[in-house]
Amino acid sequence: MTVHQMPADDTKPAYNYAYLDEQTKRMIRRALLKAVAVPGYQVPFGSREMPLARGWGTGGIQITAAIIGPADTLKVIDQGADDTTNAVSIRRFFERTADARTCEATDEATIIQTRHRIPEAPLKSGQVMVYQVPTPEPLRRLEPREAETRKMHAWAEYGLMQVKLYEDIARYGEITKTYDYPVMVNDRYVMAPSPIPKFDNPKMHMSPALQLFGAGREKRIYALPPYTSVKSLDFEDHPFRIQSWTQPCGLCGAGDSYLDEVVIDDQGGRMFVCSDSHYCETRRAEGHRGTMLGDAAASGLVEETTP
Amino acid sequence: MTTMIQVENVAKTFTLHNQGGARLPVFDNVNFHVEAGEALVLAGASGAGKSSLLRILYGNYKPTSGAIRITHAGRPVDIVAAVPRTVLDIRRRTLGFVSQFLRVIPRISTLDIVRDPLLARGATPETATERAKAMLARLNLPERLWNLAPATFSGGEQQRVNIARSFVDPSAIMLIDEPTASLDAANRDVVVELIAEARTAGAAIVGIFHDEAVRERVATRYLDITAFRKA
Amino acid sequence: MTLHVAAAELDLEPAPLLSVDGVSRFYGERIGCADVSFDLWPGEVLGIVGESGSGKSTLLRCLAGIDKPDEGEVLFRGGAEPLDIYSVSEQERRRLMRTAWGIVHQNPRDGLRMDVTAGGNVGERLMDRGDRHYGQIRERALDWLQRVEIAGARIDDRPRQFSGGMQQRLQIARVLVSEPRLVFMDEPTGGLDVSVQARLLDLLRVLVRDLGLAAIIVTHDLAVARLLTDRLMVMKDGRVVEQGLTDQVLDDPHHAYTQLLTSAVLSV
Repeated sequence: MTVHQMPADDTKPAYNYAYLDEQTKRMIRRALLKAVAVPGYQVPFGSREMPLARGWGTGGIQITAAIIGPADTLKVIDQGADDTTNAVSIRRFFERTADARTCEATDEATIIQTRHRIPEAPLKSGQVMVYQVPTPEPLRRLEPREAETRKMHAWAEYGLMQVKLYEDIARYGEITKTYDYPVMVNDRYVMAPSPIPKFDNPKMHMSPALQLFGAGREKRIYALPPYTSVKSLDFEDHPFRIQSWTQPCGLCGAGDSYLDEVVIDDQGGRMFVCSDSHYCETRRAEGHRGTMLGDAAASGLVEETTP
Repeated sequence: MTTMIQVENVAKTFTLHNQGGARLPVFDNVNFHVEAGEALVLAGASGAGKSSLLRILYGNYKPTSGAIRITHAGRPVDIVAAVPRTVLDIRRRTLGFVSQFLRVIPRISTLDIVRDPLLARGATPETATERAKAMLARLNLPERLWNLAPATFSGGEQQRVNIARSFVDPSAIMLIDEPTASLDAANRDVVVELIAEARTAGAAIVGIFHDEAVRERVATRYLDITAFRKA
Repeated sequence: MTLHVAAAELDLEPAPLLSVDGVSRFYGERIGCADVSFDLWPGEVLGIVGESGSGKSTLLRCLAGIDKPDEGEVLFRGGAEPLDIYSVSEQERRRLMRTAWGIVHQNPRDGLRMDVTAGGNVGERLMDRGDRHYGQIRERALDWLQRVEIAGARIDDRPRQFSGGMQQRLQIARVLVSEPRLVFMDEPTGGLDVSVQARLLDLLRVLVRDLGLAAIIVTHDLAVARLLTDRLMVMKDGRVVEQGLTDQVLDDPHHAYTQLLTSAVLSV
């Protein structure tokens, strides 16, 4: 057995490479192999205690720890941004325990760990998306019994999932679920895509990247191998639609990205900006200017870059 | 002539298990037959078992032994040995029972009750409605009652609903138990006419009539069942 | 006057829909039900009567595919091939129970999703079988609500807001929407007021006749049995003590226990 030992350095505690012990990584890799072999199927695994609370991304971190190597470059995003506390902490965790190179550029990363978004820039073959999943079971709110939901998956009894969508339309005139919107994987398993906005659902379909999902608290791993069919559930007469906005990003002018609403002063002023911070920066660096970029730069919210 | 009912060696004894196994013999060695176009009136003192015999013919009481061959769909079927669904098919298509009492089904209108046998035999709703209305009118049931459920009707009105239901599409065999008990003279006459018409059309009729005048007008033959009483 | 004369043939179905052979279920030493055999034909309504603990509910659970009997087999002829419901996979059995069969529970809470609207409850079986057109599902749900006498305006209300009788009618609509061939009912009018019972019974009677359903109804109420069923099985201590045509069993009972049962009620 080859064990990647951390260098004996007095300043660092003697953790194994990437924090987890090798047996645990093997166990997780076995679960991952099974998950890749049966796309959308939830594989149970022995989720470990991690140095942060469950519910803060321990499932994703364990998967990343099991697949990361010295040659990898890691990008971590939280709410689409690379600079939020959780994203920064997780990046630093792997810098310290796995000597990982980290980055913010989507196309430079080999592993992208995320909770809420899929980057706007298209993913490439060879990249791995790692999703931190809070609630892996899409049927759980409808059917509380685990034994029953397993049977429903085993025999593809998904009428009940459709009932949930029916209820939305009956009550609100449309399917109101805007994130963690259930999908049918490979025409076989219904899967919860973690709390990404439904805007990102089409990006999963036939993606060239490998997509891995880890739920630390619920102890489940599932996966989408590259080029897997992923369809969002809907009705023939109420087809699936992604969110759209009436205005483009205030900073970079992008009309094709997922926007966050940001309150900019205490007079009720607000603007819509790309939730994918790296995408927005890249576009601004390329010279795209949104209508509010000047104001935002003047008040020090963003740096105005010149190409 | 076609034999519609052939009764062979029928015996009936009630055993009351909860009264010390008491045995109440009713009949023994009952043999008779009824032809199409005949009206056989059962005679015998009250308590002789006339109603019991009628119920046996209908398959409602099960004889202790013997056979009752009912000509159904062109061939004799032993109603004693027949499985329930065959008995029900015989009743639906061949064997009608006119009792003294209407078994009221909640919430069903008078018109629907009378239409029901026609619909069950495949008549169109229009034809069924038309014939049901004609029959109710003939029995002098006020039109305002037709769309009401008969639960609140008087005894005589309920009985007329019952007769209308039975004669709206007369069966090949009609078993009739005291149909005129609480009717006035005019309606009694209608019932007698209805029975006569059914008989003329070829029905085999077996009945019990307390009213001697009615009995005289209906009967083509009498059967005194006292002879079948068990000693 | 013309006389109704039956057509020449005995137009009866060629094979029973359900064949039950030697079904027994034991709870340790105690007998749940023992050696029950019968055939049920298409369109036939069978009543199972007996007092509490007589094994009628145990038998129903065995017949309906819920509890596997310890002995015996249950053969269902719904499709091309007869199906031994306990030798097929659980998947196949569940599929059967959602499509060709229906179960109406005594307590509507056991048969309804209480958090789902009336329309969703009725539509579930349609979505189970793959219907994916919202408008059509809703239209059929509306149609069925009306057939069970629930106002269409209540389609988006949840069963919690319904009375007991309405909940039971909703459960019936939920089961019948998939046009099952065989329906199991466990005390369908239990727990309802007498007036509500009458309405439900009448509704069931009409639906069973109009749809040509075969049904097995467990009840301790002989009036219910008389109104709804063609045939009766009387159970005592897990065994069938008497069976036959419903009116014959009730009016001319032969077994001591049946005589006791029928004499214990005022008028049925």
